[in-house]
Amino acid sequence: MTDTILNVNQLQKEYSGEITYKALKGIDFKLKEKEFVAVMGPSGSGKTTFLNCISTIDRPSNGSIIINSHDPYNLNDDELAKFRRTELGFVFQDFNLVHTLTVEENILLPLTLDSISEKEMKRRLEETVDFLGIKELLKKRTFEISGGQKQRVAIARAVIHKPTLLLADEPTGNLDSKSVNSVMTLFESINKTFNTAILMVTHDAYVASFAQRVIFIQDGILYNEIHRGKNKQQFYQEIMDTLTFLGGGQHEF
Amino acid sequence: MNFNHIVIQNILRDKATYISYFLSSVFSIVIFFLFSTIAIHPMLAKLDPTSTLGVTMVLASFFIYIFSFVFIIYSLFAFLKKKSKTLGTFMMMGASMKQIRKMVFRENMIIAGVAILTAIVCGLIIAPLFLMAAKKILRAEIFGMYIPIQAILITFVLFSLLFLIVTKLMTRMIKKEEIAQLLKADITQEKLIKPAPFKLIASIIVSVFLLFSMIKEMNWVESFGIISYVALFIILLLAIYFTVTQGLLLAVRVWQKQPSYFRKTNMLFVSNLKAKERSHAHIIYLLTILLLGVFVCTSVLYSSYYNVEEKTESLYPYSFQYTSYPGNELQAQKDIAFIEETLDKTGHYEAYYSSFKSDDKRRIGFMSVTNFNQLGQHTPITLIDNEYFVAAGHEGVLPNKESIHDYPLGNLEYTGMEKSNILTSGLQNVYYIVPDKVYETIGYPDYKIFAYELDDWTNKVHVAQTISTKITIEPDIRLIASKIELYEAEKFVKSIMFFIGFMLSLIFMSAAMSILYFYIQTSLEQEREKFSGIRKVGFSIKELTSIVTKELATLIFIPFAVATLILFATLLGMHNHISLAFYQLTAIGLSLFLLLFIISFFFIRRGYLNKLLN
Repeated sequence: MTDTILNVNQLQKEYSGEITYKALKGIDFKLKEKEFVAVMGPSGSGKTTFLNCISTIDRPSNGSIIINSHDPYNLNDDELAKFRRTELGFVFQDFNLVHTLTVEENILLPLTLDSISEKEMKRRLEETVDFLGIKELLKKRTFEISGGQKQRVAIARAVIHKPTLLLADEPTGNLDSKSVNSVMTLFESINKTFNTAILMVTHDAYVASFAQRVIFIQDGILYNEIHRGKNKQQFYQEIMDTLTFLGGGQHEF
Repeated sequence: MNFNHIVIQNILRDKATYISYFLSSVFSIVIFFLFSTIAIHPMLAKLDPTSTLGVTMVLASFFIYIFSFVFIIYSLFAFLKKKSKTLGTFMMMGASMKQIRKMVFRENMIIAGVAILTAIVCGLIIAPLFLMAAKKILRAEIFGMYIPIQAILITFVLFSLLFLIVTKLMTRMIKKEEIAQLLKADITQEKLIKPAPFKLIASIIVSVFLLFSMIKEMNWVESFGIISYVALFIILLLAIYFTVTQGLLLAVRVWQKQPSYFRKTNMLFVSNLKAKERSHAHIIYLLTILLLGVFVCTSVLYSSYYNVEEKTESLYPYSFQYTSYPGNELQAQKDIAFIEETLDKTGHYEAYYSSFKSDDKRRIGFMSVTNFNQLGQHTPITLIDNEYFVAAGHEGVLPNKESIHDYPLGNLEYTGMEKSNILTSGLQNVYYIVPDKVYETIGYPDYKIFAYELDDWTNKVHVAQTISTKITIEPDIRLIASKIELYEAEKFVKSIMFFIGFMLSLIFMSAAMSILYFYIQTSLEQEREKFSGIRKVGFSIKELTSIVTKELATLIFIPFAVATLILFATLLGMHNHISLAFYQLTAIGLSLFLLLFIISFFFIRRGYLNKLLN
């Protein structure tokens, strides 16, 4: 399959400490080009570990991960860093902005390491901030802007180098409901406009309903997956049902 | 779980925060303790309570005490800053300010108590070694080991008082608002450095002016005396402060405008400098001042120690100089016979016999060419009938060339000058060397000089002692001066100075290192978070290492460079007063410190990186 951008094969992850703990017990997963997939599951199910393994932050104990026909775990630290900043984009729950830098500098950060001309940097910056509508924030410091704005800046930083795969870990976890809506609409339009594949971890059914496919992880194994049909409302309901079945999601009164 | 339990657990479970505070306290106390064991050594009291050694030691102890005071205040301040978040949490849970103060006070008193006890125990262990070193360096045989009960008591009482006062003072300074602010927002913008070009220029101009007038020995400097030196000291501190802060501000601004700002890790490095420019500048300033202290203490004091032989010779040119006043001829013959008999037994020596006539009131000496040439420590001269030659009588003072014209010696012409004093410094103000014929016409009383120069004179103290116990100075009858004895005395004083200087520089050095350690520790948590964040964005360990390296290098080597620059500028300004050997020694000393710094730089860097990346 040539249009597969991410191929996860029998992924296992063990945390060895006083008690060895198996977070992932063998997951098979494929992500196609331009696909937007949400990962759900109760707390402690292993969904963040799953994302961390893909994002090359955690090394898997077993199994293989192929991103864009590269195996990131065969790379040394230098190459891995370069791989991260060219192939992958990251959005985190806590935004992960560098507070000593201005908004503009934060967005340019991944570009500074590759010898890109100043003119090209300017061009890409303009294109990205126009798209995200954060032009007026550029000269501000990160502690002078709101949470929703911070997440937009983080998204700008994640997409400025046009990654093939955007990874998001609870991107709306720290946001109010209004910001959630705008950030998720943004994800959708990034997915459509730039054809960027997105893999997003969330525990919020509403957020997940923006994706085209939702996979459910429980106790370290892939439990279920559902595809979005034409109707978003119905998709949301299906997600809720699955979650309720898993023992999370909507509370019953 | 009661209040004291929390206090103790606070300390035990957060060792990293407390350990540097604890260690720097222990260090200051140990140094003070060791100094006081010497200063109040029982043998010292028996010998001479007001001896230079005793007084210097007490003064040094006092200085160390004052320095400890400042240093402990600083450490406590840094320590409180680091703890303020914990304090904020306690406050949120409902602890009153009074309780928080009580907690901080108790914590500090526990640390102080343990630090004082540890320091005294360490001090008692090191004391024998220290006394042995003192014995060797100071060449004072009196420093045997003893049980320094007095020193223990003094150290204990003084430092208990110090900690009590400092802690009481500091706990009063804990402000509710500041802590609450810190708890609300983890990241707050530091106050930026304000551009102050006028202050910078003014402070530099004033200090250059003051320095210049001191070097040129202008009149007004003398009339203000000590005040002008204090003023210079303060204005220099200010000038360095403004140079460091404004320099950093300018460097950051210029750098941010460069195209290379967006290249590689420059942006992260420079923006971090900018975000912390105020605290960075303060650390750089503090380290610069402490390093200057270290440099001055070691290199200057050591250099003066090194120059003793040269300086002694310029004051007293001869191993022995016997000056016989008019009317002492009979006694002089016996004395000379005794001196030469004694010297014969000790090895080879040269003897020079000479004499001069002196106008006692003005202390102007006249010497014939023959007599002048009979003295062996300077180049011989020849004079024709109507010429005169001038020789210095005081070390370091240029003799008056013209006073000779006040005397009716005919019309004599000046031919040249010997700038170093030809006999014991201060015996006469000036010597005029005149042709033998003219000399015979002078009617002033005749002084006889018997001078001796021994081979290997620095090792013949016993000879000097034998002679000086037999032949004592009798004013207006005979004088005896020996550069051997002067050398011994000078060397003793200088070695005390060196010893104290060495100790002080040790203290300065450890203060500098512990300030740096505190500073790095304080921001560690924040930096760790930041680094793990940018690592995910695609920075490799190599790139992070380069940022850390640049930042630590800025903090460590800029103070070093600034201090070195100031030291050499001062030395160059004083080039008339110091010899070449001084520069060499200073350079050697600095290279040693540089080596020490480079080594500690790599240690700090490794430790810091390990903590950051794990």
